[in-house]
Amino acid sequence: MKFELTQEQQIFREMVREFAAKEVAPLAKQVDEEGLFPHETIKKIGELGLMGVAIPTEYGGAGADNVCYAIAVEEIARACASTSVIVSVNNSLVADPIYKFGTEAQKQKHLIPLASGKLLGAFALSEPGAGSDAAGQQTMAKRDRDAFVLTGTKNFITNALEAEIVLVFATVDRHLRAKGVCAFIVEKGTPGFSITKVEKKLGMKGSSCCQLLFENCRVPADSLLGEGGQGFKIAMATLDSGRIGIAAQAVGIAQAALDISLSYSTERLAFDKPIASFQAIQWMIADIANQTEAARLLTYRAAWMKDKGFHHTKESAMAKLYASETANRAATKALQIHGGYGYIYDFPAQRLFRDARVTEIYEGTSEIQRLVIAEHLLS
Amino acid sequence: MSLNIVVCIKQIIDPEIPASQFKIDPATKRQVQGSHSLVISAYDQNAIEVAIQLKEKHSGKVTAISVGPATAVTALKSALSMGADEAILVNDPLFGSQDQQGIAHVLAKAIEKAGGFDLILTGCVSGDWGDRAVPAFMAEELEMGFVSFVSRIEPKDGQVVLRRVVEDGYELIEAKLPVLASIISDETNTPRYPKLKDIMAAGKKTIPLWKAADLGLDPDRVGQGAARVAITDVYIPTKESKCEMIEGDTPEEQAVKLAARLRELKLI
Amino acid sequence: MLGTLVFATTEGGGLTRNALELLAGGKRLKGKLAEPIGAAILGKELGPHVQQLFAYGADQVYRAEHPLLEQYQGDAYAIALHQVCQRAHPKVVLLPGDSIGRELGPRLAHRLKAAFVADFIDFDLDAASGRLLFTRQAYGGKAMAVVQPHVSPVVATVKVRAWDPATKEEGRTGEEIRVDVALEASLLRTRLLEKIQEEVSGVKLEDAKIVVSGGRGLRGPEGFKVLEELAQVLKGAVGASRAATDAGWVAPSWQVGQTGRSVSPELYLAFGISGATQHVAGISGAKNIVAINTDPEAPIFKVAQLGVVGDWKAVATKLIESCKELTGQ
Repeated sequence: MKFELTQEQQIFREMVREFAAKEVAPLAKQVDEEGLFPHETIKKIGELGLMGVAIPTEYGGAGADNVCYAIAVEEIARACASTSVIVSVNNSLVADPIYKFGTEAQKQKHLIPLASGKLLGAFALSEPGAGSDAAGQQTMAKRDRDAFVLTGTKNFITNALEAEIVLVFATVDRHLRAKGVCAFIVEKGTPGFSITKVEKKLGMKGSSCCQLLFENCRVPADSLLGEGGQGFKIAMATLDSGRIGIAAQAVGIAQAALDISLSYSTERLAFDKPIASFQAIQWMIADIANQTEAARLLTYRAAWMKDKGFHHTKESAMAKLYASETANRAATKALQIHGGYGYIYDFPAQRLFRDARVTEIYEGTSEIQRLVIAEHLLS
Repeated sequence: MSLNIVVCIKQIIDPEIPASQFKIDPATKRQVQGSHSLVISAYDQNAIEVAIQLKEKHSGKVTAISVGPATAVTALKSALSMGADEAILVNDPLFGSQDQQGIAHVLAKAIEKAGGFDLILTGCVSGDWGDRAVPAFMAEELEMGFVSFVSRIEPKDGQVVLRRVVEDGYELIEAKLPVLASIISDETNTPRYPKLKDIMAAGKKTIPLWKAADLGLDPDRVGQGAARVAITDVYIPTKESKCEMIEGDTPEEQAVKLAARLRELKLI
Repeated sequence: MLGTLVFATTEGGGLTRNALELLAGGKRLKGKLAEPIGAAILGKELGPHVQQLFAYGADQVYRAEHPLLEQYQGDAYAIALHQVCQRAHPKVVLLPGDSIGRELGPRLAHRLKAAFVADFIDFDLDAASGRLLFTRQAYGGKAMAVVQPHVSPVVATVKVRAWDPATKEEGRTGEEIRVDVALEASLLRTRLLEKIQEEVSGVKLEDAKIVVSGGRGLRGPEGFKVLEELAQVLKGAVGASRAATDAGWVAPSWQVGQTGRSVSPELYLAFGISGATQHVAGISGAKNIVAINTDPEAPIFKVAQLGVVGDWKAVATKLIESCKELTGQ
């Protein structure tokens, strides 16, 4: 048992850390305040191979492992959580399922440009009436000769505004619930597919979160990913990996909270002493550090298990649950440590606080994660 | 014109850590690494970039060399992932307390052993101690021409033309090969971030380890007592002043207050 | 037997400020070592400088003239200075920590088998051992190191602007020694093809009392026009961080930092500069640093005396107006 990154992982972490400090962090404030999608940065991230970290090189990816993926998302999130969610959605929720379930033709057509960062993808599972109850899909897919016709609405879809392809889940028969769900690769510009709303969110402001409308949207039959009725399984398997990405993102936010807490508390004076010399602050910092480290280890473990080909549903859920709750606790404490300065927009504490909040909600709420973990233990 | 290039790199503790976390070990008189990461000294990275660009434009080979502890392997692998073809680690407990002249002697011997280089590149200043003399000493050891603070190199008719940055502009200097140059940054040599797939590929390469006995070193030049300059003390000077923040509802208001304060302090 | 030999550089008709700083140091060393100071000048037609060197404190002037020394060339100057040292037998050789001194110093040290001390800012004599101790910065100015040479002679470069220049004593005389340098073109392995000088209007950066500096936060070259205007109002010079010069926004000679210039102005205004170690190393001599940055956690605020968290452009533009009013322009 080795608690050490391989040399490649160490070198990679240094590289992403430097990249994040130089290219991602300087824009974080503007991305948040203006809701700016960081196009230039995403392009550079793609060129480095980070949009398809664990995808083999023959499909445009970097041919690395999931621990590297976790490292990439963590270091980017540490600089700017919005940028990291663009990366994690692309890797985990679009590239990964196409790699695992796609035909050779689909991999050639979609995976290569996706993994090499030439185009972005989005994952459209959530609906106004089906969030946690993912099997309750309302969006319909009707077979019509050599095509499927999609009708329905999706909401809270990340990256949708900038994505060229969207993985859309729809059912052929609502009564079949999970067994009727199919996954489709839908290209932007397909008639009948439109974005009807771009949400204004509390945080993660640099990534778009959209409502999609499918009105008799006709997609060719070969846009079906996997088999008919396999869609729910694909969604669940995809979320297993996606949770590693969100866990890593949460670790990054928590680490950023620790960084700013250390920096502020050693400089800020109260009663003629830096506030870091007070036990109250020291305990808060110890808690943030402790929990961040634990979250990181859970995340790396889940990533490692995925690399080894082990079943990792429970471990991904544990990592995502713990890391997202940690990010929220850490950001709250960091804000408190900053006192009044934590509440004003000049300082980054408030941004971490707002960005952290959604990590307990998307890709499976904390409540769902608990159910997943309990199921694995009790059944 | 194909060039055989060697780049000398040094792995140091990340210099961008907050000042409050910077600590010196009184016993070794060196910075304490703690949990801080190790990086390639910044200008050494520019040197790698210059070498790789030359290889890409004119063909040739790039070798990275480092005299350092075992951890320097990751620095060498980074160099490989940026595009270097080979890397060599020179490591021996004997090199613990070297001064700049001692390090230069070891590097020179290693370069002689590897042999056949047209161009030897180093960073122009080390990111930790701020030392600039090692490349000059190396050039003396290797008995070759030396140009410092070079930002660009172009081959020309079997020689090279180097752009040397000086206080009031720059010089174009022609040099016979082999030549040694220390590299300074400019807009043409920003070090590339290695692609992840190249990092993975570099991981598979083996890096030979050379020890003191492999190099035919002059015993008077290495080891304890060989250093011509000894470090007797390293201390962190106490910082007295605190930053007075100028508040205001708008930047314009802050500017007006700042001007007034500067006038008050008789600075303008 | 010479105590200290100072490598003196000339410009125009006189001695450079670096040379005067070294002579000031030489005088101090003379006080400690109780041995004469020599100055070495290399070049062509050096006559007028001999008297100047005596006036600023040299007891001996070693004058090495040769056509190949007219402009600085590494091999020629190393050979010539080595030969001067073989004549003069100094205990200590001082060179400025500029682009010439930093090349020439180590090369000379190697040839003399001397100890080499880099960019020191102060020195003292250790009473117990009778040896010299030199103080220099390390780790980008985060630490200070004291070093002790174990062999003689000692070749040392002095950090530029660490000392005040020597004062002139009119009518002072000394001994002039002409050194016939054995030098041939075939020994020179590099050749200067062209020198491109950058246009410097106004005050020189390292001599300015006020420096207005810009970094990555300016987001492009246009921002420097605003800073130039501010510098004009304040009668100061404009500098830049490495990020700005590496991006090609301004000429490399504007760079302030570990590479680039070290400056020690009364007032240093840093606009959109994060305060990386490399930059801070170049402003450690500044008496008052003002930092303007939108990031309150930027390291520059840890070294600044006054800070403004705000947009650099809005602050700079209004500051021009306010300063104009205050200075009656």
